Amino acid sequence: MYAVETNGLTYSFGAGFVKRTGSAPSVLHNICLQVPKGSIYGFLGQNGAGKTTTLRLILGLLRRQQGSITILGKSFEENRIATLRDTGSLIESPSLYAHLTAVENLTIFQKIHQVPTKRIGEVLDLVGLVGTGKKKAGQFSLGMKQRLGLAIALLNNPTLLVLDEPTNGLDPNGIIEMRELLKHLHREQGISILISSHLLAEIERLVTHVGIIHKGQLVFQGTLPELMMRRDQNSALVLETSDRQSTMRLLEQMHLSPVLEANAVVLPFLPKEIAADIARTLVQNDISVYGIARRSNDLETIFMNVIK
Amino acid sequence: MHLLHVFQSEWLKTRRSLASWLVIVGGLFTPIVIFLARMRQPKALPIVYQTPHFWQTVWNQSWESMAMFMFPMGIIMATGLITQLEFKNNTWKQLHTTPQRLSVIYCMKLFIVLLMLLQVFVAFNACLYIFTVLPVLLVKGVAYPAATLDWMLFLRGNVSYFIDCLPIVGLQFLLGMHFKNFLVPLGVGFLFWIVALTGIQWEYNYILPYSYPMLDYLVNTGRKITVNGDIHTFSMLYFGAFALVGYAMYIWKNDKG
Repeated sequence: MYAVETNGLTYSFGAGFVKRTGSAPSVLHNICLQVPKGSIYGFLGQNGAGKTTTLRLILGLLRRQQGSITILGKSFEENRIATLRDTGSLIESPSLYAHLTAVENLTIFQKIHQVPTKRIGEVLDLVGLVGTGKKKAGQFSLGMKQRLGLAIALLNNPTLLVLDEPTNGLDPNGIIEMRELLKHLHREQGISILISSHLLAEIERLVTHVGIIHKGQLVFQGTLPELMMRRDQNSALVLETSDRQSTMRLLEQMHLSPVLEANAVVLPFLPKEIAADIARTLVQNDISVYGIARRSNDLETIFMNVIK
Repeated sequence: MHLLHVFQSEWLKTRRSLASWLVIVGGLFTPIVIFLARMRQPKALPIVYQTPHFWQTVWNQSWESMAMFMFPMGIIMATGLITQLEFKNNTWKQLHTTPQRLSVIYCMKLFIVLLMLLQVFVAFNACLYIFTVLPVLLVKGVAYPAATLDWMLFLRGNVSYFIDCLPIVGLQFLLGMHFKNFLVPLGVGFLFWIVALTGIQWEYNYILPYSYPMLDYLVNTGRKITVNGDIHTFSMLYFGAFALVGYAMYIWKNDKG
């Protein structure tokens, strides 16, 4: 079962939006998102790719135009209130009442969700905001605001957490804390998390599944290992030898496709057994092998390759 | 029970807000000004306080500025501030992802605005009484008014002015819920107030939705003014229409945060 499933989700902003913002209309084309239950799904894309629009559609903040949205196995439109009861969200910058304290901000939502008052202390503890006292939310640092936003999202013990760029504006330490917190929530409480980001390193260290959106189209969707496989397929074997010309000739005789670079000979990625054969052959032909290494593409490169 | 929690949630948002301060200022301002004016001529007070229609005079004096200026302007500003709480704090998106019906959100916000208006009335009446009685304690020779305090006069007047204010609340709420820019409801409200002020002698003045507190005051104080319609009926009709149109605009708004 999917925590979130969209089918043929298509959206375009009207002429009014274009006139107001002076930008080209943002459009989503046939987005078929499948977020497995219990997963941490990284929704990747460059700024303006359509991540926030997709998440706002999923949460009902934008009126659906085409396609369907199913959350926790139920149609969102037909079960809006029941669905939102099980969902926590943090969309873009945190939504906080600046003139109120952290506890008062949480009380506003505690009343609506009708959860026990002690839950306020629990979520404050969870995000490390205990002891902010009478300090108003407007006086918080951006990191504290993000954490309070997350506390609001967690207040109702959600089974699905929708987070739009939650690490925006956080310092490196804050990013690590946020990542660890999300991992903890996922591990301990089994919460499904849909998290959007353009910080690829964040996704790599956190998620189990990945979706990549580019110019309103979902260009990749799968597990992290599947994405890693693409990385392997795009990686290369780098040979540093005493005689690059002879190495090239020998490899061509072995029906391989070597490329001569400034200090090395590069081959498309090969299984390790073949790499061992190559090393043995080179040595047998009096060519010294200084090094054999795999040149891997990082996720950033994979991402750029996918969206090309 | 759920509605009570939603009310508590909405009411908490007004804590320490500018709108809540405006309620206090709105209730205090005119009674204090009148009190200070009285204290400038303390020698005249012993006679004034013993006039047979003392409370009626106090009531009419106090409502002059309230009906003509303070109430319309106060409502324009306070309603805008209440609805701006969500825009200013970027909280519509969080509110709209809570498990509650949109109709509940809309009606509760409108209820909060009406409740704050009621607060102003209560504060105004309380301050009116306190600051009227205060010279009795402060100025030698001023006795408690001889005239009987006509509570029914106050109550009838309050209900009447409250109804008069409803169209202003309705339209300002509609605009405040729809426009992110605070200046739009403020500007439109000010414009409607100017129209009401300039059209006060017009034979169709009763169709101007912001004119009712002024018309009510002028008629009650015996000024030469003709009102050819039932302003309370028009007032409630306008309020109902504005509230319904506002609700439709809110529900059909494409972008909810």
